Amino acid sequence: MNILKLALRGLMRNRRRSLVTLLAIALGFSAIALFAGYTHNVYDGMARGAIHSEMLGHLTLSKRGMRKEGKLDPQRYLLTANEVAAITGLLKDEPHVEMIAPRLALSGLVSNGRASTIFIAEGIEPTAMERLQRDVLNEREKQSGLYDNLMKHLDPAHSEVVELSEGLVEMLHLSIGGQAAVLVNTLSGQANALDISVGHSFNTGNAGSNDKFAFVSLALAQSLLDAEGRADRLTILLDDMLQTGAMRARLSEKLRAAGFDIEIMTWQELSDFYNQVHGMFDMIFGFIFSIVLTVVVMSVANSMGMTVVERTREIGTLRAIGLKRKGVVRLFTAESMLLTLIGCTVGLLITLGVRWGINLANISYTPPNSASPVPLLVDMDYWRILFTFALMGAVGTLAAYLPARRAANQAIIDALGHV
Amino acid sequence: MNDNTSHPPILKLRNVRRRFQLGETTIDALNSISLDIHAGEFLAVWGPSGSGKSTLMNIIGLIDTPTAGKVHFDKQDTCVLADDELTEFRSRKIGFVFQNFNLVPVLSALENVMLPLQIQGVAEHAARRRAAAVLVDVGLERFKGSLPDKLSGGQRQRVAIARALVVEPMLVIADEPTANLDSGNSRMVIDLMREMNRARKVTFVFTTHDPRLLDHVDRKILLRDGDIASDEVLQ
Repeated sequence: MNILKLALRGLMRNRRRSLVTLLAIALGFSAIALFAGYTHNVYDGMARGAIHSEMLGHLTLSKRGMRKEGKLDPQRYLLTANEVAAITGLLKDEPHVEMIAPRLALSGLVSNGRASTIFIAEGIEPTAMERLQRDVLNEREKQSGLYDNLMKHLDPAHSEVVELSEGLVEMLHLSIGGQAAVLVNTLSGQANALDISVGHSFNTGNAGSNDKFAFVSLALAQSLLDAEGRADRLTILLDDMLQTGAMRARLSEKLRAAGFDIEIMTWQELSDFYNQVHGMFDMIFGFIFSIVLTVVVMSVANSMGMTVVERTREIGTLRAIGLKRKGVVRLFTAESMLLTLIGCTVGLLITLGVRWGINLANISYTPPNSASPVPLLVDMDYWRILFTFALMGAVGTLAAYLPARRAANQAIIDALGHV
Repeated sequence: MNDNTSHPPILKLRNVRRRFQLGETTIDALNSISLDIHAGEFLAVWGPSGSGKSTLMNIIGLIDTPTAGKVHFDKQDTCVLADDELTEFRSRKIGFVFQNFNLVPVLSALENVMLPLQIQGVAEHAARRRAAAVLVDVGLERFKGSLPDKLSGGQRQRVAIARALVVEPMLVIADEPTANLDSGNSRMVIDLMREMNRARKVTFVFTTHDPRLLDHVDRKILLRDGDIASDEVLQ
């Protein structure tokens, strides 16, 4: 018996009911797919932000204990010039390694001559900074114009030129090209002051750091800390984000074999904000998914329950002329599966249409703790769409199982006598 | 004397009882019925409402099981068969015609007739060919693409007869096949069943209220209060 043909015809009997159920499935599916697409875009943007804008790279190498004890005993935990050169030489030809950049963090006071405030700075080679930021924006984000002030630039020819966050420039009434002075403690604890010039300002994208952060050339940082050739860590940029975990294991093994006691952290481990937002969105997604799935199951179960009751006499007839109990169950679950799959397909089409509209509308919003608006964009999260399709299909099919089994187990004479 | 009684019985009922429990009330629908039905018979079961006609038909049609007694169909004790075995057995040996036609409304006349064959697993093209041939036999070849709601009551019952015959059963059970038809269509349906009985050597057992239709049968069994009041073989 062609179960699917019979199931499809069955769906056409009560078209209004089938349509309402189908719409419930389709709208539920599209709600999940659109939210998944939105979070996918957020995760992707945040991952690129962490790797390329925060300049965490994919992997960060430092002496074991640097993260916990390095601030208290920098002499002990900073990498020496020889170590930096040896590790760079050892790893630069590894597959997927695009760049290894020494880094040196520092903090102190910055002054305009009349007032001063604290700053936190990152020392990095200007060319490494350019390379790290190269992939920070995708084409759509570049076109949005919302990230024009995101990029940071240091001048390779002038190490005294620094990049200050917009809030810092504003607070100290500095101007681009203007002069300021920074005061820092050297590694040995002595005060060291140097004049700087403001090359450019940037938006950190975070309200908490937009009035404190600065980028300086690695040479200037080493000079301010009196730490020639030294670095507190090495940032490694890979050519493929998906290789992060594998490369950490591979490089750790290689460094251990070469006698280095080095700790390697991934960008995900270092980016608390990414992890927190990811966790929060995953929880919201799970919540929405559960609600939508419940609504879909209830709709399908209700629709199929009514269908089974209305067709009880037909079930009796089919049983009398030779359809086995499991055949009855198969018939109604096929009908339910067909309804769910058609609903999900319509939901996918709605998703494509709404996504197209949202992405075309140039909508922007300011997320919590953000210093600037970001575009509202929706991606296609193919894995979660596939997962939703499969799960809804399975659950929608099973929703018909109980009423169908109940009908199949009914005595034939009772079913035939049903009014 | 009807020649068919000389044939071995295809169905034997021995001391069949059927009791229904409706809450506190116990209803004895059949009281120790014993009956043989022979191959090729054209048999009517008649009697007043509540006499047990439909209950007897359900038991003969193997869609109900007796509370006590034995039912042997084609030498098989049907009471020992599991549900799936019984369903399989029934689908190959018995055809059904219902009072309300019980056609699947979303299937065409041809598809309705194909249905029992497809349930048996017959390939679609073979089922289509066999169903079309039976529709020709019942005079509905022109309506094979019509949905049931586009057919008259008489035409629907002819489709139901075709559906019952398409599996080439030993026995066709028809419970009040003319109850929803006017007298002209009732006569036509009984004539058609009779024609199929003779042409295909298929045993027909049907119930009716209409005494005029009893003139056309080989044998008539009168039921009263769950017992056989008379079993008359006609010339």
